[in-house]
Amino acid sequence: MSLLQVQEVTMRFGGLIAVNDLSLEIGRGQILGLIGPNGAGKSTAFNCVAGLYKPTEGRILFDGEDVTGQKPWDLCKKGLARTFQIVKPFQSMTVLDNVTVGAFAVTDHRDEARDRAMEVLRLLGMGGKGRALPGSLTIADRKRLEIARALATDPKLLLLDEVMAGLRPTEVDEMIDIIRALRERGMTIFVIEHIMRAIMALSDEIVVIHFGQKICRGKPEQVARDENVIKAYLGENYGTA
Amino acid sequence: MTQQEFKRNCLIAVTLAAFALPLVVRSATYLHILIILYLYAYMTTTWNLVGGFAGVLPLGHSVFVGIGAYTSTILWLQYGISPWIGMLVGAVLAAGVGYLIGKPTLKMRGAYFALSTMAFVEGIRVMVENIDMLGPLKLNGPRGLNIPPLQMGEGSFWAFQFSSKEPYYYIILTMLVAVLAMTSAISRSKMGYYLKSGGEDPDAAQALGVNVARYKVAAMVISSFLTALAGTFLAQLTLFIYPKSVLTLDLSFELAFIALIGGRGSIAGPIIGALLLRPVTEFSRIYFSATLPGLHLIILGVVLIVVMLYQPRGLTEPLLRIFDKVAARFAPALPDTPDTPDTPDTPDSPDSPNSPDSPNLPDTPDAPAGPDTQGTPAAPGATASASPREERP
Amino acid sequence: MDPVFLAQDCINGVLMGLIYGLVALGLTLIFGVLKVINFAHGSFLMVGMYVAYWAVTLSGLSPYPALVIIVPAMFLFGYWVQHLLIRPIFIAEKNVREPITVIIVTTGLWYVLDNLALLVFGPDYRALNPNPLKGQMLEMGEIIVSVPKLYGALATLATAGGLHLFLQHTRLGRAVRATSLDREAASLMGIGQWKIFNIAFGIGTAVAGISGAVLTPFYNVYPTVGIPFDIKSFVIVVLGGLGSIWGALVGGVIIGLIESIGPNFMTSTWTEGIVYALFLLVLFVKPSGLFGQKQDW
Repeated sequence: MSLLQVQEVTMRFGGLIAVNDLSLEIGRGQILGLIGPNGAGKSTAFNCVAGLYKPTEGRILFDGEDVTGQKPWDLCKKGLARTFQIVKPFQSMTVLDNVTVGAFAVTDHRDEARDRAMEVLRLLGMGGKGRALPGSLTIADRKRLEIARALATDPKLLLLDEVMAGLRPTEVDEMIDIIRALRERGMTIFVIEHIMRAIMALSDEIVVIHFGQKICRGKPEQVARDENVIKAYLGENYGTA
Repeated sequence: MTQQEFKRNCLIAVTLAAFALPLVVRSATYLHILIILYLYAYMTTTWNLVGGFAGVLPLGHSVFVGIGAYTSTILWLQYGISPWIGMLVGAVLAAGVGYLIGKPTLKMRGAYFALSTMAFVEGIRVMVENIDMLGPLKLNGPRGLNIPPLQMGEGSFWAFQFSSKEPYYYIILTMLVAVLAMTSAISRSKMGYYLKSGGEDPDAAQALGVNVARYKVAAMVISSFLTALAGTFLAQLTLFIYPKSVLTLDLSFELAFIALIGGRGSIAGPIIGALLLRPVTEFSRIYFSATLPGLHLIILGVVLIVVMLYQPRGLTEPLLRIFDKVAARFAPALPDTPDTPDTPDTPDSPDSPNSPDSPNLPDTPDAPAGPDTQGTPAAPGATASASPREERP
Repeated sequence: MDPVFLAQDCINGVLMGLIYGLVALGLTLIFGVLKVINFAHGSFLMVGMYVAYWAVTLSGLSPYPALVIIVPAMFLFGYWVQHLLIRPIFIAEKNVREPITVIIVTTGLWYVLDNLALLVFGPDYRALNPNPLKGQMLEMGEIIVSVPKLYGALATLATAGGLHLFLQHTRLGRAVRATSLDREAASLMGIGQWKIFNIAFGIGTAVAGISGAVLTPFYNVYPTVGIPFDIKSFVIVVLGGLGSIWGALVGGVIIGLIESIGPNFMTSTWTEGIVYALFLLVLFVKPSGLFGQKQDW
């Protein structure tokens, strides 16, 4: 059974339909990519899944349970973690403390939480930066911090919202490695990404949305060949990382 | 002696000195000034639990002081119940009121909470000023309540009245030390982390499993409870309370100012704020109130603006930096602390015994992320060219 | 109750309420654009009252011509307060949508202004002298209307109407509205966010100045005169909906009516309690206020 099922979800803001009758599912251990031109409704769809918005219509099932409209903190405890497109570190807290906040989802004890946070930081190659303040980090490290915090909550499903935007090509390669490593550990990952090279390399399957509607779903190479997709989107951007 | 130990010893020395102070300071006047100083530090510390940690701005904390003062006083005057018991009753009552104010408003952002706390104080003050009898309870309107002193020279623990200043001194100092220990424990606990993160960025905190509003309400309840204890103390110290002394915006704002100038959200902030501001207030009240009325409030306002513009996290941070330098002269800097390992590139086994609850994380050091992402303190791009990524299928 | 008395109380309540609304108007306008509460608003009103007082005392004119000085002076004052004191906080906390620090800084400003006034002018209550409008009444049958209050109410309507026209029909006004809806989008349209903030703060302060001027003929001037108006304005803007111009007027009238009709039924000191109770009720039941749009609070 799939870990996440999005069933006919529609999200309206006033008269604007941001997501229109979107359905998709992610199997356990899968990496699903979500792409689409700017303003296609990717982030809104993400926010519906993560509990920030309650969808106007439709249902969201996580791990077999209907979680439509549940609050982000409850979803997090159930094993659904997300990153934000615009990173949101807690500026006055050290990197380690930032990640420790996430780790408290798993344990109530500070020492355990800190150990866990340290472990996640090491995994992401930030073991030496625990004491730094987020403001002093490079963009790549801030993106990693964002992932580290989410990972510390011990998620089953990780939603990554454009974690590669603004990175240099070498940094993108590293990020791809990190995400693959997570998948190899059995984590299920749902990715929004603009960098085509990355999403093509990572995803088991890709869903393309345009004006809030799904226009294509398939393996990366199928999507890349799809007429509608090329028309809507890839024609201009494919290959330019 | 490590720096850590040096700092801890300093802390112990200061605490002991504070307890020993009445042996040296015999003057009742000076002791009274110190008592008031500690009282403000206490109330500001309890304010800081909400205003500092939870990142909101309560501007009506005097309502809890008032509830504490009125509850214990009424119970003592009308029913002969010891103020010590009244203190607890008042605190429980205040906690309930704190919940009532916080529950609906802490879900919303900033301004609403600040405004409703203000409205609450003003509303309660108007109420008390207009009521002589509330059912069987005598509030005595704007005239307030007098606690008749025991016979001259007599003190009684049960009556919370003492013939000299020393007992008051020790009571408030003990309360202050206890509440400081408590806030520092909270700030290092899950609750502290959750409050701080929720105060800084609610969206991000919620995504990490923090029910921000619930933790803020919890902080508000604890803070209201503790603040009310100070109300009873104040009533027993002055033996006279009236609406304009304990239920005012002035007191509420002063607590906020002390905390903000000292440093919101830091443990030492309220102490440093009270140490800096109370003397200025007392001094200018005594010497300038006739010739230059309001001068101390102008100074306060200017200091507040300047601190907010140039040192928005308060004056404690720069002062602590100076202290760090002093400490560094007396004790060698620690190469490392147990909490924050500085040794990034040791691929030590992540499946250490204290983390059995992480099934989703790689449990071997050579996870496919490869050595390049495993531990690179240098810029990430620097090692990427050596990445074995391309070689993997 | 005698219907004539009731009608009299209602008229007094509406007139005074509209003037309360005028004070709140400045506050709500600033909030609408900057999303911060200016705690020094009452002190700005106080400054306006002193300027009007001295203008009248020195020139002997009525306070209304003095608006020619007061409005631009107060506008510039607000403009520079925002530029020098508030803008740096927005820059420092650019990720925070609603920096609480602004409340603190404006509270500091409130303390400074009120106590400077105390230092300079002393604690005396000053009545306008000469007061060309002193005790002027308009008699309509059995009902008596105070002329300066009537002028004040008319000034409120004129100011609100003028602001409405400005916001809806001028290029600058539309820019102000765009900024209030979405700071980034407005910046993308080539509108300087800081300039708009300065202007909005300046207009809000000028409105406080107008309220000060229209109050002087029937309200004493003293250093802390702003505080009761300040707190009332907070109540009014929440009641009417933070950011809503017409909500401010309606909220003001509600408060005015409670204050004028209430004393028939209870001790007059209790009416203040009713106002706070109503405020808390609105806050708990419909926090967006009577006319506010639902915001992402």
